[in-house]
Amino acid sequence: MLFLAMWTGDIMFENTYELIVFILNFIGIYDPIYNVFEMFGLEYLLRIIIVLAEIAALFVFILLTVMFLTWMERKVVAMVQARYGPMVTGPRGLLQPVMDGVKLIGKEDIIPAKADRWVFTLAPFLIFIPALLVFIPLPFGESLIISDLNVGLLYIIAISAISPIAILMAGWASNNKYSLMGAIRAVAQDISYTIPLALAAISVVLLTGSLSTVDIVTAQSGTWFGFIPKWFIFLQPLGFILFLIASIAEMGRIPFDFQESESELVAGFFTEYSGMKFAMFFLAEYAHLFSVSAIVVTLFLGGWSVPFLSSIPATFAVLIPIISLAAFVIKTYVIIFFAMWLRDTVPRMRIDQLLNIGWKIMIPLALLNLLATAILLTAGVF
Amino acid sequence: MTWISKDWAMGGIIKGLIVTLKHVFRVGNRPTVTVQYPYEKMPVHPRFRGLHAIDEDACIGCGICEVNCPNSTITIVKHNTRWYPQVNMGMCLFCGICVDVCPMNAMKMTGNYELADYSRESLIYGPDRLLFKKEVN
Repeated sequence: MLFLAMWTGDIMFENTYELIVFILNFIGIYDPIYNVFEMFGLEYLLRIIIVLAEIAALFVFILLTVMFLTWMERKVVAMVQARYGPMVTGPRGLLQPVMDGVKLIGKEDIIPAKADRWVFTLAPFLIFIPALLVFIPLPFGESLIISDLNVGLLYIIAISAISPIAILMAGWASNNKYSLMGAIRAVAQDISYTIPLALAAISVVLLTGSLSTVDIVTAQSGTWFGFIPKWFIFLQPLGFILFLIASIAEMGRIPFDFQESESELVAGFFTEYSGMKFAMFFLAEYAHLFSVSAIVVTLFLGGWSVPFLSSIPATFAVLIPIISLAAFVIKTYVIIFFAMWLRDTVPRMRIDQLLNIGWKIMIPLALLNLLATAILLTAGVF
Repeated sequence: MTWISKDWAMGGIIKGLIVTLKHVFRVGNRPTVTVQYPYEKMPVHPRFRGLHAIDEDACIGCGICEVNCPNSTITIVKHNTRWYPQVNMGMCLFCGICVDVCPMNAMKMTGNYELADYSRESLIYGPDRLLFKKEVN
């Protein structure tokens, strides 16, 4: 009952750390643990352990999601193409990613003779770690956030700007013309599509006046006229479309998959990779898909906020973190499904079309969107 | 002014997206057509040309099938005091001429198509594996 009373009160947790401390306190084991650490004068160690546990939980969640996404991708492709997809391993092929992982771990780790060994080995890590780091300022639900940075959005854009470097490293170090071509294309594409991406995000920042992801999500709670959720997709429809297209291009998924265009370059920048390093590129791709969809949801679809959550009776308020997490995951999976659906529908563009659309259409439109947002904001419409 | 006549709303892509979505949710007559082969098999046509079968009582061992086989697949061997064809499935091209020429209609082809094997010797199907007895009713 105490738990319920404290939840129904106005207790807000800034991040998961405070939530964990509160839960430990509630169970009654926080003080004894704290005293043990205080005996040795190592209180900070307890904080570090709790934060590490959070991060471990986050990474396990991300990796499980990524494994599930590889299965989902194959299933969605199969459904579109009137096939079954993986069916044998586990119920409806659900354990197929595990088998793929086991197979990839068992494979030989080949480094080409004339490759740049250090750069070649470093590149998969450099692409994999930023894909995980992006999740740190993302709110998965109410108070389910590792760290609410006040420059969260800037951090996300900055961290995802590391991946072109890793791609270029992989392509260059492989000493293979296909890898280099794929890497050069990927970098050209990433650089030209980061600009409309950032411009579309800035329009949202104009509306909220904050770069913090938690502030952006809180600004989207509630409804207009009692039935339209206050999501920024309704204020920024053009911004949403631009952001979605630019993020799909950044991910390098099919209408824009120039980094690994199978029919032109063998496999793009990871042609020479095998075994676990290939698996890291593969996982990074899907982690990137998940993170980008989560960012789209956070910016335009209200993040974890549920439009009619405030009308829930106070006795169920204890469920709010769970409901918000579920809402976030469902919205993210809708965006992920859209990306997969688009992948199964459209063919690849040409590289000149890609750059034309990026520089001649998307950037002017994004600037126009930003200008319109600024004018309407100054006029006091929003 | 060609850019005015362009389809800026991306109507073609949206049309395609709707078609694929119909496939995902199986709207209309869009079933899954794949067969989970080792676990379930597609029905075989009645005149499918698979592994041979020889009617034990009807075959007279005349050797017409042996003569007519384009790949020299068939040889007549002795089996239980009578002569019967022996078929080397490694060479058979499943043309069905042996069935057509049989004067007693003793030879026919079954729907068994799972004939992969581990050695060339085991691909030679002797009368012991080909003969069947017609049920008299």
